[in-house]
Amino acid sequence: MSATILALTWSIPLSIRMASMKHRVKSVIISVFNALLGLPTVLVGLLLYLIFSRSGPLGFLKLLYTPQIIVIGQAILITPLLVSLMYEVFTKALAEYWELALSLGASRGQAYKTVIREVSGDILTISLIGFSRAIGELGVALIVGGNIKGYTRVLTTAIALEVEKGEFNVAMILGLLLFIIVLSVILSIRFIKRGTQ
Amino acid sequence: MTILLRGIIIVLFNITIAILWFMVLHVFTYSDSIDGILRVSTTTSLYATGLLEKLADEFRKYYPNVVIQFIAVGSGRALELAAKGDIDMVLVHAPQLEREYINRGILIDGSIIAYNYFVIVGPGDDPAGIRGLSNPVSAFKRIYMAGVMGKALFISRGDNSGTHVRELSLWRKAKLNPRGQEWYIESGTGMAKTLLIANEKRAYTLSDVGTFLKLKCEGVLGELEILVSGGVDLINIYSAYIVNPQEYNVNYKLAKLFLEFITSNEGQKIISLYGKSEFGQPLFYPAKGKEVELRRYWKKLAEEV
Repeated sequence: MSATILALTWSIPLSIRMASMKHRVKSVIISVFNALLGLPTVLVGLLLYLIFSRSGPLGFLKLLYTPQIIVIGQAILITPLLVSLMYEVFTKALAEYWELALSLGASRGQAYKTVIREVSGDILTISLIGFSRAIGELGVALIVGGNIKGYTRVLTTAIALEVEKGEFNVAMILGLLLFIIVLSVILSIRFIKRGTQ
Repeated sequence: MTILLRGIIIVLFNITIAILWFMVLHVFTYSDSIDGILRVSTTTSLYATGLLEKLADEFRKYYPNVVIQFIAVGSGRALELAAKGDIDMVLVHAPQLEREYINRGILIDGSIIAYNYFVIVGPGDDPAGIRGLSNPVSAFKRIYMAGVMGKALFISRGDNSGTHVRELSLWRKAKLNPRGQEWYIESGTGMAKTLLIANEKRAYTLSDVGTFLKLKCEGVLGELEILVSGGVDLINIYSAYIVNPQEYNVNYKLAKLFLEFITSNEGQKIISLYGKSEFGQPLFYPAKGKEVELRRYWKKLAEEV
């Protein structure tokens, strides 16, 4: 959940900026983000491990094997997904509402607000997709989190461990739990969305 | 271009805020227990049996403020984590690899904490005819012959773990190289998953006895039986090391305390009793009283090329 919020803090401004760009740079950037969608989670995990290891460039932060690093890793993992999807939404919204708002005499700030308001529903849906990907991923959590009991053990790494131990029943129950959590989050957000419209 | 520039600045600003936020969180969550965290990378076979959590729980009865964090990976990666300075202590069972890291000055205070035996397991009808052989090398030779004839399969861990290292050294002793052959499958996963694959494919594999017994008791290894066991050629020695505090930032005092606890009479008793009631036989044997003998075997294993 916090991974999604963190990823949103940089994905939203990034995709707005990208949508308002008119250069060839834009198509290059969006292609890169689309390509990054296919990045295996273990590779992201390994890169982060090498960076945040005590012998790595950011090792002094001592973030390795903490819950925080899992959040950061998952946020980075879902960023390409969020940006790729939100970019489309913002491109459309800017084309439709930006000029309209400005021509009605709104300031730039007000125009931004209008656009944001118009796309908020879509952003919520996209965030849910990001959330589902983050909560269901294993590679990053396992490598940089370390699957430490009661500390960095998340549902997916717990499932992996139970499979490793041969406790298939426990693994299945945990899997069911994961499904229920994702389902209830998605349903409640749907509910809220319907309420506000 | 200014728009692009401003976009970049906003993104950088956000990242900075996020990093600052996490540093604050980090300091906050750590401030009260920073002296008490011990990170131990360990082989999966020790961890998955539950023995380490048991040892840690008993240890915490004396030092309730201590937090012991286990990172369960194969022996190869467990040692590499030590070389990167990310942990305080390692528990592994791969003498050949251990020696390399000791020589590089990464590991100190090595002590043998426990031992058990590897077993060669395979399908009950035993197409290679190895049941009851006392010499694992001749068993491997027979598996090789049966494999070439298309009658048997062998699953290798293929992950540079302690078990994998031992398996390769057995093939070398048999003067055979099965790699690349059709009947020789490298699973690239942990012991439990490798055993499950062997069970599905009715194949032979080398396993530590602890993981095998645990899974057998869960009832998921219906096809597999222990065919060759015991003997010093299959001895499996678990050692503990502390990461060299002169090279790395290590919680040496705490690591030493935990190491002393494991090798103490009480710790060794926990090891000797663990799993006895559940599996009918102990999963590990304590090293206490057999140090000299075990050290000799360890040296012999470490010097095998």
